[in-house]
Amino acid sequence: MSNGWSLWVMFLVVFNLGITFFLFLWAPRAKIPTLPDGTSGHVWAHGVLREGVRKLPMWWILLSAAMFVAGFAYLFLFPGFGNHKGYLGWTSHGQLARETASNDARLDAAFQRFDKYSIEQLAGDHDALAMGEVLFRDNCAACHGRDAHGNTLLGAPNLADNDWLYGGDGKAILTSILDGRHGAMPAWGPQFGDAGVANLANYVLSLSGAPHDATKAIAGKALFTVCAACHGPEGKGNPALGAPNLTDTIWLYGGDLESVESSIRDGRSGNMPTWRARLGENDARVIAAYVYSLSHGDPTDTK
Amino acid sequence: MAYRHFEFIEKHVWTLGILTAIMVSIGGLAEITPLFIEANKVQPAEGVKPYDPLRLAGRDIYVREGCYLCHSQMIRALRFETERYGHYSTASESVYDRPFQWGSKRTGPDLARVGGKYSDLWQRLHLMNPRQVVPQSNMPDYPWLSLALIDGKDIQARMRVLRMLGDPYTDADIKAAPKAVAGKTEMDALVAYLQGLGIDNEPQKPAAAQAAPASDGGAP
Repeated sequence: MSNGWSLWVMFLVVFNLGITFFLFLWAPRAKIPTLPDGTSGHVWAHGVLREGVRKLPMWWILLSAAMFVAGFAYLFLFPGFGNHKGYLGWTSHGQLARETASNDARLDAAFQRFDKYSIEQLAGDHDALAMGEVLFRDNCAACHGRDAHGNTLLGAPNLADNDWLYGGDGKAILTSILDGRHGAMPAWGPQFGDAGVANLANYVLSLSGAPHDATKAIAGKALFTVCAACHGPEGKGNPALGAPNLTDTIWLYGGDLESVESSIRDGRSGNMPTWRARLGENDARVIAAYVYSLSHGDPTDTK
Repeated sequence: MAYRHFEFIEKHVWTLGILTAIMVSIGGLAEITPLFIEANKVQPAEGVKPYDPLRLAGRDIYVREGCYLCHSQMIRALRFETERYGHYSTASESVYDRPFQWGSKRTGPDLARVGGKYSDLWQRLHLMNPRQVVPQSNMPDYPWLSLALIDGKDIQARMRVLRMLGDPYTDADIKAAPKAVAGKTEMDALVAYLQGLGIDNEPQKPAAAQAAPASDGGAP
């Protein structure tokens, strides 16, 4: 705030406090002319209501005096009187920094202990799991669901079934959280045409023994060599690329014919955002431990 | 001052009214006028640029649909807010927001730094029907956004007005606008806007910023 505006605020503060303080000092001493009956002569309702003149009660005077003391003390201690920073030097940002630091210090001991464990070991630590669960619900549940069962509309994988796109050890899970993942299935519709897509989809369904049209599946098998580049010759997937296993009954975007056809024809683009900047490594590790625990049983669970 | 002066004030309603108005306006004159008059001195934070045409269209849809009625874009300097949403908001981040989207009404979460938190697909599904991704959500559906196309000429007019108000759009920016929004739906625009919120302009990493609160961009 410029000096001009600082002076403006100071003037208003002095003006306001000056007038109210003058009234406070003057009012108890003011001589109010009274009629013989002790009223002021102000009447309402044709004299039914008359204004009495009494001394201000002591509790009121003391309370008002206390208000002035509090007001002056506030203006001295805290910012408010123009550019005066206040004797305490208080700022809201400073308070935030102090509160954040004291909270970090409170968590520090726990995180130092957690640091000594691998993610897999951390998944057996009750404190880490409790923390991880809260963080999971705040940050991850929007896509993976509160129960971590995923969302096939989004291609958000089920995290509780021990089937992993990018590997299921603690390190892989942590990497997925910190740096995100981008699954890119190209669109094959233009290359294979509608008939080709239908044949391929039936072949893919046959890999997991799902109901399919056997004739189309046989026709689709020849086309699968293109898919094998990522999904492997047997369709078992490739965790290095995030290519899903097609031979199991777990489907990222749904396992009915229509969904599989759509995946082949239009491609899929799965996007796990990167959380490094938002969460930091400490929080990400306890979340990874919580996620790991979902499919490995919770050894601390006594329920 | 004698009692008769007060009796005069008490018995002349216009005098009483004017003097009362002066006294009750002191707070506003001290709190509001300096910041209001000095608002034009707030400089954009590093990385804060005027909205590109698609995001500008998205921002206006955000305002049109009344998103601000449930979502604020103002992270307060309180620990439980910065833990959840990130670095507190500063005035220097909102210099190109006309009108700004601060506020305290939070039926839904604060969106000041929501950019990049979810994937584009999540945002689309969520706007079409929030319950597809968050079963317990009470946000309304906005399916019509995916039907209407953005009008490039309209965006150009908006950019010209914003330039008059001081946003540094160049002639080339305005000329290129129709191409940037060609074929884009309102959904595309709104998702682009949401995905850009707060990602390019987080002042510093929280620790550094809190150590140096002087750089808070225009607070008194």
